[in-house]
Amino acid sequence: MRNHSVGTLEHKEAILGWKLIAPTVIIISLLILYPAIYNIYLSFFRVSLNPAVPNQFMGWKNYVGILKDPTFWKSFGITVTFTSITVIGSLLLGLGVAIMMNRKFYGRGIIRALILLPYVTPLISSVFAWKYIFLPLNGPLVQFLSSLHLMNSGTDIINNPNNAFVVVSFFNIWRNFPFVYLMILAKLQSIPSSLYEAAEMDGANWWKKFMSVTLPELYFVIASVALLRGIWNFYKFNEVYLLSKFAGTLPIYIYNTAFAGIPHQGVAASAATILFVVMIGLITLYVKKVLKW
Amino acid sequence: MVRKKSLWKIIAFYFSVGLLVLLVFYPFAWMLTISFRYNIDALKSGFFQKFTLTQYEDLLGLKQSIQQKLSGEQKELYNLAQTLPKDQRKAVLKKIYANQKKNQFPFLRYFKNSLILAGLAALLSLIVSIFGAYSFSRIKYPGRGTIQRGVLLVYLFGGTILMVPLYQIFSKIGMTSNPNLAMISLLIIYMLQTLPVSLYMLGNYFRTIPYSIEEAAIIDGCTRVEAIWRIVVPLSLPAIITVYIYAFMIGWNEYLFASIFIRPFPSYYTLPVGLSELFNSQHAIWAKMMAASVITAVPVVVLFMTMEKYLTAGFTAGGVKE
Repeated sequence: MRNHSVGTLEHKEAILGWKLIAPTVIIISLLILYPAIYNIYLSFFRVSLNPAVPNQFMGWKNYVGILKDPTFWKSFGITVTFTSITVIGSLLLGLGVAIMMNRKFYGRGIIRALILLPYVTPLISSVFAWKYIFLPLNGPLVQFLSSLHLMNSGTDIINNPNNAFVVVSFFNIWRNFPFVYLMILAKLQSIPSSLYEAAEMDGANWWKKFMSVTLPELYFVIASVALLRGIWNFYKFNEVYLLSKFAGTLPIYIYNTAFAGIPHQGVAASAATILFVVMIGLITLYVKKVLKW
Repeated sequence: MVRKKSLWKIIAFYFSVGLLVLLVFYPFAWMLTISFRYNIDALKSGFFQKFTLTQYEDLLGLKQSIQQKLSGEQKELYNLAQTLPKDQRKAVLKKIYANQKKNQFPFLRYFKNSLILAGLAALLSLIVSIFGAYSFSRIKYPGRGTIQRGVLLVYLFGGTILMVPLYQIFSKIGMTSNPNLAMISLLIIYMLQTLPVSLYMLGNYFRTIPYSIEEAAIIDGCTRVEAIWRIVVPLSLPAIITVYIYAFMIGWNEYLFASIFIRPFPSYYTLPVGLSELFNSQHAIWAKMMAASVITAVPVVVLFMTMEKYLTAGFTAGGVKE
């Protein structure tokens, strides 16, 4: 009798649990999982923009076309470069800042809040600020850099397809390092000080302590943050496109193929599928080799 | 000797802190100073120029802009046009309207559109995820682990992967044909994009609330759902507000789907779409653009800074979705 009532109680709990999670599950499967599969389906068709005209089956033609398209390969290369630069850059900057902010100093509270500014300021605002400082001739940063003879004041680096992705990478690092910094700082603060004391007794200097205590303790958090930032930056559209339409990364390639000029949404779908497959491959490799799950 | 070395170290340390502040604040400093300039000073190179609030007054509609003052002249033209023969009149009127349209800077309308969209989407996502997060952080049932991991997997499907299929799906059911339906599509998509972060942060926070408090309420006769509203929600208020602000930001920043769905309907533009369109179509409006950027940023930054402590905790308690 008692067992039975516990059973129904558990059963009731389970039903409640499912009821509460149901909206989430429905939304995610309907609007994320289904579209993701639908995307693969679309990638084999010439997709018509008029709902009255049916899609036309193309077989592998979209894929063959893309793999033969030099613009695709260029975008692919740029995306990989962009992702590597931004992940490494924001990790190094975030790590350095986290180590700095882990020390007590006068005014630390204000500076800690200030550091978050690039991350929390609305994208569109910081994009315009960056566009201004990089204006050719009049931009303050351009004037400063050209006074140091680091660049020609007349070059428009933002709207130049050859190096727009460099500015975009810097912008991405600048905007996202606070995220890395927050994650690393939280872990830094939880490293027991006894570890450092032990290292000091062994006569370790700052660098040795950093290499033998701090880094190993931070390994997992750094690896996870690198994974997250890698995924996000691989897909990054808003930040890149709003700063420079000429950055030429794959998301921009897909966007332009699907929605600019004469739309080829089937082709865009196959490019997105390729991007997704590459992504899954890289993540699996990373999780096995680096995170050692 | 030792003391001297450590003094240098301290100086080097403060120097690098100074550099960091410069790096972070440099673009914002320019944004601020430009926003207080007259149009003609916008590109001058000194940091401080003649101070004015005119850009802000213009944007917020506190003052008739120069364009609107000029419209007195346009009115005369309009009256003149009435006396002209019909076909000529049409041409002149068309010109006047085109001119007026070109000079408009509908900042407040974009602001309102963004506010409604991002605000509602974050609210919807919050409601769905309070229940969802409660479910997988508090209740035991078969399939819970799968669902929790499934939410994590959503990280793998960015807007880049979903833009074509989502556009196709929404256009198949006729949601892209009229501006209101397009806005509803955007609302759904924004909610979708903010759902993972809300679920994650709330789930992590709910786990920190002792179960015994809830249990006491249930013994006192609350139902489970009542206990969520009366106990869990009030206790997690800081986390809920943080999650709301964060979800709000995602909608406030979104450009990709907004540009796809509302491109044909200019009066429904959100801030990112509207401002970048204006920026591309007009020249030499830097001062106004910067003032618009400041107004766009201030409410969000203030919100964030007041919630900084919770924000930091919410982030680090476990992943965050952008």
